[in-house]
Amino acid sequence: MRTKFQKAIQTALVFAISMLPGYSQDANTILKKMDDVMFSPKDMTGKMKVVMVDKNGKQDIREATIQQKGTDKRMFRFTSPASQAGIAILSLPDDIMYLYLPAYGKERRIASSAKNQNFAGTDFSYDDMESKSYSEKYTPKLLKTEPAVYTLELTPKGPSDYSKIIVNINNTNDYPESMEFYDRGNNKIKTATYTFKKVGKYWNASEIEMTSLKTNRKTKMQMSDVMYDTGLTDDDFTVRKLKQ
Amino acid sequence: MRHISVFMMVLLVTSGFIKAQESAVTGQNADENKLKISGELTSDERFLLSEKNDWAWNENRLTLKLSKKIMDRSRFYGEVWLRNIGIPSLVSSADLYNKGIVDPYNLEIREANVQLTGFLTKNLDLKIGRQRIVWGTADKINPTDNLNSYDMEDILDFGRHRGSDAINANYYFNGDFSLQLVYIPFFQPANLPVGIFANALNPAMTLPEGMTLKGFSDTLLMPQYNLKESSTAAFRLKGTIKGVDFSLSYTWGYDGLPVNTKNTFIPVDALGGVYINSQLSLMRTHFVGADFATGIAGIGFWGEAAIVIPDREIKMTTDLSALYPLSPVPVTTDSTIADKPFIRFIVGADYNFSGGSYLNVQYLHGFIHERGGDNLDDYFFMRYEKRFFSDKLKIAPVGGAFIVTDWTSIKDNYALAYIPQVSYNATDDVEITLSAAIFDGKGGNLFAGLKDYDMFMFKMKYNF
Repeated sequence: MRTKFQKAIQTALVFAISMLPGYSQDANTILKKMDDVMFSPKDMTGKMKVVMVDKNGKQDIREATIQQKGTDKRMFRFTSPASQAGIAILSLPDDIMYLYLPAYGKERRIASSAKNQNFAGTDFSYDDMESKSYSEKYTPKLLKTEPAVYTLELTPKGPSDYSKIIVNINNTNDYPESMEFYDRGNNKIKTATYTFKKVGKYWNASEIEMTSLKTNRKTKMQMSDVMYDTGLTDDDFTVRKLKQ
Repeated sequence: MRHISVFMMVLLVTSGFIKAQESAVTGQNADENKLKISGELTSDERFLLSEKNDWAWNENRLTLKLSKKIMDRSRFYGEVWLRNIGIPSLVSSADLYNKGIVDPYNLEIREANVQLTGFLTKNLDLKIGRQRIVWGTADKINPTDNLNSYDMEDILDFGRHRGSDAINANYYFNGDFSLQLVYIPFFQPANLPVGIFANALNPAMTLPEGMTLKGFSDTLLMPQYNLKESSTAAFRLKGTIKGVDFSLSYTWGYDGLPVNTKNTFIPVDALGGVYINSQLSLMRTHFVGADFATGIAGIGFWGEAAIVIPDREIKMTTDLSALYPLSPVPVTTDSTIADKPFIRFIVGADYNFSGGSYLNVQYLHGFIHERGGDNLDDYFFMRYEKRFFSDKLKIAPVGGAFIVTDWTSIKDNYALAYIPQVSYNATDDVEITLSAAIFDGKGGNLFAGLKDYDMFMFKMKYNF
């Protein structure tokens, strides 16, 4: 009798939980919603401050301006330190990237293998910095559902330095709260925590803190002066602009 | 006079353009329009690895970069070098009164120009003044880069050019295609290597049997400074199709290195001693160029080629008349240096490995100073570097070139330049580089000629 009662309760609970918002969503839908939060603005401009903190607490700071249109056009321009000021990177669709080094006075097409490198000496790879949606790059699997977060396992669809990424997604606002990155040997190598703030009608990752578990070093990427949908055009993402 | 007219017209039109912007942006943030000064301090010291470790190079350079946004779409840029360079050459007490000899220094205006973006039409950019106009997709050595004169002062910094006083217009048809037109009114030849490299580009002189060189002088014939003789003009069409960047270019210019066009032999004694006077000329040359850059499977590929077309046949005349005073006619012989077009080209590739490694390889046919299809050497360049500690430490254990002068007898006609390097960023803005240059070879190649000059190099760069 007691067993039947327990089963009935369990069935009712499962039914009730399945009726809660989100639970019935499959992994693809959850990831698509996260992409919508992260990549829905038409364009974005802002300032970026990168703070690298080594295991002794020593800080190195890089600053840059950033412009982005859609998910596949992006321009970085370093403003400090002096050794890097003026260096600019233009990312275009189909893995086309240009680097502008003021000392050489010309743009240089850079091989897409540059994505294998860390971005400007930080713990972010070029791959992490890419604005391509996660749904395009990864196949998701729902690992668990908790009251506040969904946990997805993302497996790369194409070549990647990662074997998988475990991401916790806020199930109210659909933005990522944290990510864990695993190398090809399935070892956890990095963790990222996100702080989102609302700017106008969009959620903005005002700070991303990446911790390298290998070097015990942290990189904080902080955004400021963020503006969305200012009307950037394709002409703002050309080699002509890169060199100006 | 006609030059002045052209520049006056350009000046009038551009000043009107700036004035028009001035009235349009009166409310603009004043901070953005302030003069910005940045630059670097470089200390470059080299000494030979041979027994006494003679100094090979001493340079302390302060580079000042000045930029100012004049108005919303116009900008000034200037770059100045202030340098102590060279080893003091003191031979008498009189030299001690000359500060320029005791402590050699110089000042160079590398660039000073005004850039107007969206000039007259939103698709046209104009840059006027002293400027570096860089063409080509290859690293360091660009056969299509023939607008600015070569700055060959430091032979190990090959590919360095000086700025030229130019009018440079770029018209952008769209994001993918553009047309560039360049006019340089005054031709300036390349400056030659200095210090221990001074003779690196001089060909070995072979005298007829029984003659001994007792003295030498030369006369450089410069083009006249008029519109026809001293101008350089060029255009370049640049585009991107299906992920491949390319350009096609033409330059009506000069080969910036002089050619020996006449040697006059004068006897100075009865034992075969001769004095030679050489006449050096700078040759009007056409350069037809093409280049590309693309990426395939993560690997970057590039290439560029220039067809070098001498404006007329280049001959060297040897005048032996003074040796045969009784001959009823001048005794001369002619040999051809270049009479038909030849091609210099370079192809290369690079790849970034995960973990911070980088590999770059290039193959070049025909170095800067080599002329004539049969006289071009083959250069294989390679550099492998690995970065450590968040890019603070960079080690390049493999770097340099292998050169073949004659494929039929490589063991007697080759050169090797091995240049390993270690760089360390002591702070964000201070970089210290230690490197060595080891040369070996046989035959007449430039780098084989440096085999007695193996050196250790120290460089410190501070950016501000």
